[in-house]
Amino acid sequence: MSAIVTIVTMTFRQVLGVRRMIGLALLALAPAAIFLLSPGRIDPFVGVTIGLLFSVAVPVITLILASTVLGEERREGTLSFIVLRPIPRVSIAFAKLVAAVGSAFVLTGVGALAMAMVMGIRTDEFGYVVPFLVGSLVATLAYAGVFVPLGYVTERATIVGLAFVFIWESAVAGTIPGLAATSPWRIGFGALVGLAPDEFGAAVPDFALGTMQPGAGGAAVRVLVVIALALWLTTTILRKRDLA
Amino acid sequence: MTSEARSPAFVADATVEVLGVSKWFGQKVAVSDVSCSFGPGVTGLLGPNGAGKTTLLRMLTGLILPSEGTVQVLGVEPRNRVEVYEKIGLVPEEDAVYGFLTAREFVTYAAKLSGVTDVAGEADRVLRAVEMTDAADRAISEYSKGMRQRTKVAAALIHNPQILVLDEPLNGTDPVQRAHLIRLFRELGSAGHTVIVSSHVLEEVQRMTDRVIAMVDGKLAAAGDVAAIRRAMTDIPYRVLIESDDSRGLATSLVGAEYVQGVRLSGDSIHIETRDLASLGTDIARVARDLDARITTFRPEDESLESVFRYLVRRR
Repeated sequence: MSAIVTIVTMTFRQVLGVRRMIGLALLALAPAAIFLLSPGRIDPFVGVTIGLLFSVAVPVITLILASTVLGEERREGTLSFIVLRPIPRVSIAFAKLVAAVGSAFVLTGVGALAMAMVMGIRTDEFGYVVPFLVGSLVATLAYAGVFVPLGYVTERATIVGLAFVFIWESAVAGTIPGLAATSPWRIGFGALVGLAPDEFGAAVPDFALGTMQPGAGGAAVRVLVVIALALWLTTTILRKRDLA
Repeated sequence: MTSEARSPAFVADATVEVLGVSKWFGQKVAVSDVSCSFGPGVTGLLGPNGAGKTTLLRMLTGLILPSEGTVQVLGVEPRNRVEVYEKIGLVPEEDAVYGFLTAREFVTYAAKLSGVTDVAGEADRVLRAVEMTDAADRAISEYSKGMRQRTKVAAALIHNPQILVLDEPLNGTDPVQRAHLIRLFRELGSAGHTVIVSSHVLEEVQRMTDRVIAMVDGKLAAAGDVAAIRRAMTDIPYRVLIESDDSRGLATSLVGAEYVQGVRLSGDSIHIETRDLASLGTDIARVARDLDARITTFRPEDESLESVFRYLVRRR
């Protein structure tokens, strides 16, 4: 257990550089700022949440941080430093996933919280805080499950990840309702809609959730499956792949 | 006694065994049918750049799986074996360090990952062992290459491993640091650790150990004690590069010397072939003095070592 905590702590130091954090924090807070400047109440709130926070800020932030946690170690040769210590591969994979989620949620959580707080200030309805935090956490977990192993297997993780987000999730899963569950942000958004006040759910357009039923329970099951698969895949890659 | 046991590539008390190991990456063969073993004491893994040393060392640690053959460390295949990693330490060739950490933080990290109980005490011990105590609290990104090398050695030593694998650990070190590290490796070898050190510089290896495994083009070129390999090497000439402000004069004076087998002048550089490096070294100083010439470079050329290794491979 202490090795896992040690790796998580070191990975935080590794990925949370000041300049990177400033850039990503601006991205995380941009949706709340845009909503603040938008006239109207629920429609811009839902629109900015879907159009910027969940489908752009959360995936891009998580992509940049999660693909780094193993990818940068492999590129810089420090991964051999870790894998040659007496630590089971599954512990290394778990620690890296925790670090990816933790570092990304610092930002995606702040972005989601800011969005909910702006809504609360404008309407005196603060019931969005928990749904937004849960939704962004679920989406961050799901994206980390995809992008941690991706960062290890390819040096072009950012390009591949952006293609996944903007081609697969937006163009494909957005037009074929049955594929909504393959979209990490939609899994998180499903949790948000399930927990948010009813007027939020009523304003959500069909393409956002496809055939998925909103609800925290379904989202939790989906994200657990994604994380379990990610842990298995990352462990397998660490065990099988040469570090030449 | 088996033929393996009689071969100089094998030792009786092996802790690391390599049997018929080959490794290829796509069409490129990096290591070809290498068999040898390593035991307590220092063994030099010698060969020119690109000989396959790094690939072999990474197979010994389980970072790379052989395409063919087997590697055993303490009786088991090393890949993914926690019990092996408790007893093995690697200093990789590349700069595998976290620049944002200090050396003390880096070895502390290594200690925690290795399950060391007295983390601070062991960190102090290894930093002292590599003479990095004074600089231990500065960021690694500010270090010279030699300091980074010593930091990597400290991290590899943190759990007092039975087997230490060092890939070109003297690269970038100055003569004082080099002498200190060589002494440290010798002490570890004398204390019963299996120390495997790769280098492309014969003189470095010679100062560390009498036992050498030489590789070239991915193949085992020679094994055994350095003197025997050295004798084999004298069958073909050394090539030496000399640069001077009077290269033409020096070349003219040396061309008739008994130990000089060939002289080629190229601009201000003289390329000399000789079987007697010591005599050349002695005479060149006298000739330069007589001519009032200043020698700016005198060094064996890398290709010389490589050509010797190739020669050894051809002879096998």
